Amino acid sequence: MLLTTLDMTAGSFETATGWAAKPEGMCKGDACVPAPGTMSPTGALDVAAVADRLGMALVADEKSGVWALGPESGGRALTTAVVPEIELPDVDGNPFNLSTMHGRKVLLVAWASW
Amino acid sequence: MWQALHEELEPLGLSIVTVALDLDPEKARTWIDAASPTHPSLVDSHHRIDELLGISNVPMAVWIDEMGTLVRPAEGASIQPSQLAAIEITDEMPPKMQAVLREFKQVPDTAEAYRAAIIDWASRGADSPYAMSPDEVIAASQPRSADHSRAAACFELGIHAEQRGDHEAAIIWWKQAHELFPENWTYKRQAWTIESTPDGADSDKAQEVQEVYGTSWSEAFLATGGANYTVAPNL
Repeated sequence: MLLTTLDMTAGSFETATGWAAKPEGMCKGDACVPAPGTMSPTGALDVAAVADRLGMALVADEKSGVWALGPESGGRALTTAVVPEIELPDVDGNPFNLSTMHGRKVLLVAWASW
Repeated sequence: MWQALHEELEPLGLSIVTVALDLDPEKARTWIDAASPTHPSLVDSHHRIDELLGISNVPMAVWIDEMGTLVRPAEGASIQPSQLAAIEITDEMPPKMQAVLREFKQVPDTAEAYRAAIIDWASRGADSPYAMSPDEVIAASQPRSADHSRAAACFELGIHAEQRGDHEAAIIWWKQAHELFPENWTYKRQAWTIESTPDGADSDKAQEVQEVYGTSWSEAFLATGGANYTVAPNL
């Protein structure tokens, strides 16, 4: 996940990562991690502190002035069995949202030209 | 291959969704055009499903039920026996080729069982013994360490550099990703193929020209061993 700023609100962080700020902490699916003191009263999020709590690597690329935020870690690759929001384009660039497949079983297969 | 399975299982309420992990979508186009898929056929040029779903090589797949819940985690998804594993090794072959083919025979052959499991799930849904509970899916997904998280971040910064035209910077980021998460073959094979594919050609799968990364696909494959090359489904 590429970030052009660390000045994020809880809402923009949730859109980017799927982790929502709730009274019990940072939550994704049915998993919650306590994260006291990471949010200001105005709703601004201390991204570095939240990343630390969730085990997300926050790596700065000083050359281009961006950051990359890795996924949560310290457990398994999946934190929840609920499929996250996934929107990807087809080869012509038309976006497709995986949630439109609700109601059907889906076998999602990763492949590559290489 | 996936199109045929899609046609077979679509009446049972199962759809295939294919996702090409290709930084350059055009490299995937040849294959997609040849397959003429009627199922969704997507391109993930940032390898986002690596971190979102735990994909670490290809082909791998996850199973998603009608409610959008995973019922199997990312695992090797071969549905046809490997043609390479079937090749008879002869003394006339170069030694390295013999070694590689020997290791291909060590890759767990789960194709038939995996295909049968998919069909069982398509027919029986949650009653299929192959469909896991949410807790089972999480527990069966691969471990994720802090280094794996850092690898994903480094790989992403490599893509960002490559897309800015700064190939040298991309190589530095990708090398870090490879060191931090050596079991992720998508990070390696994606980077290697960029070095070994001539301009305008289809993606090179052999990836033997590896001066930049100091290794090659066959060397890495031999070092890992065929038995450890895939995340074999536990069926």
